[in-house]
Amino acid sequence: MVMGMNRIFIPLIVFSFMACKPKKPTPIITAGQADFSTYISVGDGHMAGYMDDGLSLDGQTNSLGALLQQQLMMVGAPPIEMPWMADQNIGLNLSGLSRLILGYKTDCQGITSLSPVRFSLQGETTSLSTSAYNPSKKFTNFGVPGARMIDLVSTSFGNPNLPQHNPFFARMSMDQFNLPGSGNFSSLQENAFNGGYPTFCSLYLGIEDVLPYAKSGATTNPMSPIAGFPGVGFEESLGQWCEQLFAQNVKAVIATIPNVSLWPFFNTIPYNGLTLDAEKAASLNQIYNPIGISFVVGANPFIVADPNAGMFGVRPAVSGEKILLSVPLDSVKCHQMGSVFPFRNEFVLTLEELSEIQNRIDAFNNIIRQKAATYGFAVVETNTFYQKLSSGFAFNGVALSSKFVSGGAFSLDGIHLNPRGNAMLANEFIMAINKKFSAKIPLINALAYNAILFP
Amino acid sequence: MPINVKYLLLLFLSWISPVYVFCQGFQVNFQGQKQQGMGCSGSALVQDASVLFYNPGGACFASKRELNVASTPIFANVMYVDSSTQQVFRTENPVGTPFSCYALMKSKKFHRLAYGLSLTTPFGSTVQYEEDWIGRFALTRLAMKVFHLQPTMSFKITDNLGLGAGLVWSSGAVSLQKDLPVQFDDGTFGAAEISGKASGFGYNLGIFYNPGGVLTAGLSYRSGINMAISSGQVEFNVPEALEPNFPNGALASSLPLPSVTTLGITLRPKNNWNVVLDVNWVGWKTYDTLAFDYENNTPSLLDTKSARNYKNIIAFRTGIQYAVQRNNEDPKVWFRLGGGFGFSPVKAGYLTPETPDANRWYGTAGFSYAFSPHFSMDASVYLTRIQRGDTNLETGLSGTFTTIALAPGIGLNYKW
Repeated sequence: MVMGMNRIFIPLIVFSFMACKPKKPTPIITAGQADFSTYISVGDGHMAGYMDDGLSLDGQTNSLGALLQQQLMMVGAPPIEMPWMADQNIGLNLSGLSRLILGYKTDCQGITSLSPVRFSLQGETTSLSTSAYNPSKKFTNFGVPGARMIDLVSTSFGNPNLPQHNPFFARMSMDQFNLPGSGNFSSLQENAFNGGYPTFCSLYLGIEDVLPYAKSGATTNPMSPIAGFPGVGFEESLGQWCEQLFAQNVKAVIATIPNVSLWPFFNTIPYNGLTLDAEKAASLNQIYNPIGISFVVGANPFIVADPNAGMFGVRPAVSGEKILLSVPLDSVKCHQMGSVFPFRNEFVLTLEELSEIQNRIDAFNNIIRQKAATYGFAVVETNTFYQKLSSGFAFNGVALSSKFVSGGAFSLDGIHLNPRGNAMLANEFIMAINKKFSAKIPLINALAYNAILFP
Repeated sequence: MPINVKYLLLLFLSWISPVYVFCQGFQVNFQGQKQQGMGCSGSALVQDASVLFYNPGGACFASKRELNVASTPIFANVMYVDSSTQQVFRTENPVGTPFSCYALMKSKKFHRLAYGLSLTTPFGSTVQYEEDWIGRFALTRLAMKVFHLQPTMSFKITDNLGLGAGLVWSSGAVSLQKDLPVQFDDGTFGAAEISGKASGFGYNLGIFYNPGGVLTAGLSYRSGINMAISSGQVEFNVPEALEPNFPNGALASSLPLPSVTTLGITLRPKNNWNVVLDVNWVGWKTYDTLAFDYENNTPSLLDTKSARNYKNIIAFRTGIQYAVQRNNEDPKVWFRLGGGFGFSPVKAGYLTPETPDANRWYGTAGFSYAFSPHFSMDASVYLTRIQRGDTNLETGLSGTFTTIALAPGIGLNYKW
């Protein structure tokens, strides 16, 4: 009997000791002066979830727009509605290719190594001919890969007959690919405001007003003009949008444009990445010594084409110049590109070009800040975040940086963030909202989101 | 009653799995049930064989030979509230089981001499965090166990003054696990485990002064021990493509255990009352760096040196004991109450999930019951709640740790 009592009694004591746990605090979560009951976000590929050089369902689920809204749902934001891609997750870019994954690739020298490779032979191109618009489910995320600030108010954006046309927008537009010949096309802005103005709006545009130019090595895709009519000039396009928000009492958070040249696409190949042994250095010296360029064993600057560089139009790259990730690496390794054959202009951003781009970004950012101040919107200084990544920092025990693949924040295209990076950038938005509108919205546990998956 | 004792013994044995939870730093101050009842103090009060640990100088004042065993299961629960996400994470610590075993002998030939042997667990910790917790890349599990085996001699120089010295052989094992921020293609994270055995030598000295009045005093010193980790191993679980970057292999490291200097006094204001006070100085400054030297280095696996920068600390411990005495017989029941305050050796910016330490107040209570002049039992209970917020300089982990630790202990004594 006594034995039996002890059998019950002792485990009971043990159990009660185990239960002696610190009490969970009640979190204080409020929207402050902001109202998220009808919420939309507008932006480019970052907002849309474009990553690994493609738009896929996984990317959309982990987009800046979705992650941010998911957190705002704690303070009353509606569920996320996006023009979802197919659930096979193949992904699609505008060249019809699938998204990138990390895989093995054998280069021209027969060396197999880890490299970004396409997930599939072909992208999910059918997505571009199928309308994702549903009149009964208004989108909350109007992120469109490739959208520029000047596209925001432009009706040309969804018009397949015009060069400004964006297929990613066309598939989500209420035009539903329109009747042939009807000629009526609605702008991104009209889509976003269709069915009533939101109570709160997140806007992150402007990168695509400079990035295509930078990605082309400052050869094609000119940057958006600062001034001009809405749909042409940056300032007036943003101005028109802001005035409407203000007139309708919509609160907003607006992000500035980061310095895109900090991204891995522009920093993975060092300007002096031409590594030579004695034999190769000697043979290059034979070619180049006559025009005053010499090579040493070890690291050398790549040779770039520059029409202003003497009568031969070639010179060694200088420190600070960017060799783009778009260079064909096999040509570099096996066909002497960057040495015997100089890198063409489209693969290089010179110091001059870099400062031209930076000046334009600075001008755009001044406009963004000025509009935000005028209309009382919160501002996210995204460059602070990218600058921090660029120098590297420890986050909950993880070293993050803007290094390609190993940095843990960028996706495999070297331009867009991966899910973890998006979560961290979304946190910057939340902090800006909290500060401006005296809200208390918790940040996202960014390390719960995927970075780069390894085979 | 015999059934009870048997049952408790069974319980005791089943709990000698060598896992314990941190106390101040990773020091565990549970080496004697009577001291534990009085705020973990009593280095100037000789009541049982645990004096071998608390003050070797007092051992020669023990009146009888004695065997003493005790264990104090620790139920510790840590809660971590992340400051930016407000998410709450907890530990799933196994029950810690510090124990102590003492044998105290008196020389028949030289009545001034006593000698003894003790096996104690003065350092150790098992902290296991819940799956997927936010600090998983800093730590998922730390298990550390340190045993001290201490042969001791104690000699009464005069009728009032005793000196004692013990040699400490320390042996332990440590295992540290964390997740790595590299992901398999299904999204699961890689992991690393570092494990090794460690050992070292130290000593324990004590002076005990009993002038025979209302006051006794003691001074003891336990030396620091540098535990060199031998046969250390690191094992990685990473995606195949990264295996060359993270080679399994040997590693070298060491773990310093701090010195503890204790000044204690005991007052006996009335015959059946004792008031004890101990002041500890703990030389935690020795825990300066946690370094791992990997045998196979790669660009992804460099030797690490993590600053710990512990500081020396002081702790105050006090308690009272009341012996229930009837008709001038020897007392059969004792009651104890105590408490203390200890500073944390962990400086701001250095709080880690492995030792979520803070300045702490704690309270204790205890009692003893003598079944016969030979055989008695002790029981004690220790309770503390500590809380501390910090942003770790190395990992960036920023949040508040709250810990509740409850430690009920039981011990048995046999004197002859």
